[in-house]
Amino acid sequence: MSINNILIAVIAIIAAPIIGGLLTGIDRKITARMQNRQGPPILQPFYDFFKLIGKQDIAVNQTQMVYVLGHLLFAIGALVMLVLQQDLLMIMFILAFSGIALIMGASSIRSPYSKIGAQREIMSMMAYEPVLLLMVVGVYKATGSFMISGIFEHEKPLLFSLPLVFLSFLFILTIKLRKSPFDFATSHHGHQELIKGLTTEFSGTQLALIELTDWIDLVLFMGLISLFFAKPIWVGILIALVCYFLEILIDNISARMTWQWMVKTTWVAGIGVALVNIIWMYLI
Amino acid sequence: MDWYLLLSAILLPALSAVLCFIVKNQKARIAIVSISTLILFAVAYGFIVLLLNSPDGRIVYHFNESTLEVVSWIIKGFDLILFSYIAYVGIKHKKAIVVVLCVLQFIPWALFEVFGVFGKVFEPEQAFVIDYLSLIMIMLVSIIGPIITFFALGYMKEHEHHLKLTVSRQPRFFMILFIFLSAMNALVMTDNLSWMYFFWEITTLCSFLLISHDGTEIAIKNGLRALWINSVGGVAFIFAIILVNSSLDTLSIQAISESGMQGAFTGMLPIALGLLCIAGFTKSAQFPFQSWLLGAMVAPTPVSALLHSSTMVKAGVYLVVRISPAFSGTILGQLVAISGGFTFAVASAIAISQSNGKKVLAYSTIANLGLVICCAGIGTRISIAAAILLMIFHAVSKGLLFLCVGTIEQGIGSRDIEDMQGLFKLMPFTTVITVIGMISMMLPPFGVLITKFMAIETAVDQPLVLLLIILGSALTVVFWGKWIGIILTMSYKPKFHIEKLTFSMEAALSMLIIFVMIASIGIVPLYNVFVKPQVLAFALTDKGALFGEGMGIWLHNMDNAVYGGFASIIFFILVLLLMVAIPFFAHRLKPTRLKPPYLCGGNASDDMRGLEFISPGDKTENVVVRNYYMQGVFGEEKLTTGANIIAGAIVLIILGVVIGL
Repeated sequence: MSINNILIAVIAIIAAPIIGGLLTGIDRKITARMQNRQGPPILQPFYDFFKLIGKQDIAVNQTQMVYVLGHLLFAIGALVMLVLQQDLLMIMFILAFSGIALIMGASSIRSPYSKIGAQREIMSMMAYEPVLLLMVVGVYKATGSFMISGIFEHEKPLLFSLPLVFLSFLFILTIKLRKSPFDFATSHHGHQELIKGLTTEFSGTQLALIELTDWIDLVLFMGLISLFFAKPIWVGILIALVCYFLEILIDNISARMTWQWMVKTTWVAGIGVALVNIIWMYLI
Repeated sequence: MDWYLLLSAILLPALSAVLCFIVKNQKARIAIVSISTLILFAVAYGFIVLLLNSPDGRIVYHFNESTLEVVSWIIKGFDLILFSYIAYVGIKHKKAIVVVLCVLQFIPWALFEVFGVFGKVFEPEQAFVIDYLSLIMIMLVSIIGPIITFFALGYMKEHEHHLKLTVSRQPRFFMILFIFLSAMNALVMTDNLSWMYFFWEITTLCSFLLISHDGTEIAIKNGLRALWINSVGGVAFIFAIILVNSSLDTLSIQAISESGMQGAFTGMLPIALGLLCIAGFTKSAQFPFQSWLLGAMVAPTPVSALLHSSTMVKAGVYLVVRISPAFSGTILGQLVAISGGFTFAVASAIAISQSNGKKVLAYSTIANLGLVICCAGIGTRISIAAAILLMIFHAVSKGLLFLCVGTIEQGIGSRDIEDMQGLFKLMPFTTVITVIGMISMMLPPFGVLITKFMAIETAVDQPLVLLLIILGSALTVVFWGKWIGIILTMSYKPKFHIEKLTFSMEAALSMLIIFVMIASIGIVPLYNVFVKPQVLAFALTDKGALFGEGMGIWLHNMDNAVYGGFASIIFFILVLLLMVAIPFFAHRLKPTRLKPPYLCGGNASDDMRGLEFISPGDKTENVVVRNYYMQGVFGEEKLTTGANIIAGAIVLIILGVVIGL
């Protein structure tokens, strides 16, 4: 590992939460405007974060922190692998582990709300995981490599060869970012029958770290979207921002659905659409 | 030196079996088992040293003609005894199908081996050949096998105590376990297909005897089912032997492995290969032959651990991997891959709906064996490396997990996953080991995930197989995640229990968990030293390659360019350590900061566990938390029939294709 790589990794680890937090702030502002509200200042997520850090530590059992750290550290790991242009499939596996860590944490508590939240989160994982893996396969079929560096060496933007995979990726992004209609594991909005679902029993520093991980995840996924138009990368970033706006829009115009509906649509529509694209990649 | 090793690997367990049967004293039995365990470890070590020092990567035992003749006739004699015994079992339990299948094996066997109706029988001179694949199997059988047998010492004592037996049946039990180890060792070393058949049949019989060991009605019923389903494989096997002999003029397994080379088959060989694969499917409990393995769960836990997860079912995948170079790149290879991938996906799906811990493990075993067979069918160098690695990781982890569930069952009196809530407080030692064992089946840095990673990256040229692996691996995460969540559930209590386990159980669990860790951390050296030479020795035309460098693994394509891989598994270990160490040292919570869970209503008492709450009607209600099992979607009865039909169709297609090839 060269000095250069370490430098890139450090910059990414510092920059990602800042960007993620800002995006979340913008999200809240836009959402508020869509609902005809004033909305909090853009820096509000950071104020919340520092407030949470300063709170007294309260927990339900002694092991919760272990899982929260697992959730955070593996997300950071995936981010570092992304900026160092490592194997895309491995990144997906590490991201899955990050998710599993939180699920384990939530279900380690004998609380009905966090348990059901955890179960639902497993359902969503089951729904989006195949699509993520299929996306990786699509990338391989287009570039001949699983390494992200391969995408940057590739001449044509991926979006041209993988339009449908891109669509189904956007579809599962809604699940991954826990936006409506798929926000049944835990929700940013206060209209949940499950209290705060997955994160009901986390508070103070632990909740702050979960927020932090969400920001990193957000940046990571924006990065993955940008890969579809990696040359020049600013076009990719622009596309990512547009997609994020779309997610916010969908969040605000749709109502929450059941997990059965989600698994069904993702497996049929998400996997189906991605497969169609991949099948034609096999044929040409 | 070599001959001593060979003889002690096969005859020593047989001797221990006899001793165990004759000596009824518990203390003497402990001594016999302990000594045999140590000697078998030494045998495995001896083989490792011998093979690593051999110049051409294999140890060959030549028999001269007269010895070969004598040994062959001895084996034929034993074969005859075996047939008679199986037929006797069939008649005794009035199970017609067992008798019919036994006769169906006996007639071709007698015509072929004894009367020579189908021409001369070409017994290979090199009766035993040990290459790296055999060595890996020897390591699994002679290291994990004895550990599980050792575990059984403590377990069976407790088990019989629960059953309130007046006369101990342990001598018989340990005898069969040792006979089984002996047969497994011989099975993976021999190069003679008809001898392999004999050892194969011994494992079938042993599995019947062990499953029905408790003698209850259900045990005998399930034992008989195992017997007849495996006999179907036996019938396929004996016909394959005859076809191999007539088309290759030898019964050497090495020769079969080198025979195919991209469809340039001679004579009836494709049919033989297809039949051997089907024999492998039955022994490895692939769909549609899976039901015997599920029924086998009535047996005492060491049986499940030894036969039905870590060793016996590996005989089936061993055979398929062994002959996989012959059909690599052919349509048969693709069908085998589809069949394995299908089993992987469906078994993982059904596992989601199971709340019986042992059944989840059984389905997960079936699924992983499916993945091994799938990798063998894909037939690239990388996929075969993945298959061999997965065999190792799965054997270690699953052997461990079965023993854990057995220990838990004796501890809490139930094997239902829902009853394992709060286990961490009751059995901290077992819980930690169980959780690590489960994590090793699904998460980085452990080997099973790495092989899944390799399987997906190498399956990209076969879309259907790829899709099946992807679906399967998403479903696997669900059932392990749910189970781990339950086991780790805990509420605050100031005092931990101290767990009391017998020495043999504690030692066996500790040893296996150490092996799980070593195998995963040392995946790169493991691959470089043991797997890579074998993959290179196989006659494969594919030029892709897997390189283990430093602490990472890299996949290279035809032009030797990297197309996948990861730099370091140390990274994952570091993160795992950090996530445990940071809270432990920096963040010790005071009990005053612990609160009961939120129950959306007043908690009924000050109890920190939050077991009751006051509902809106001022009534006190119990809090019940359960996992989702989604019977409506993934239920066993919902999926099994359809899956059996599809898998049966795939088997028929395989048969049709090989006849047409």
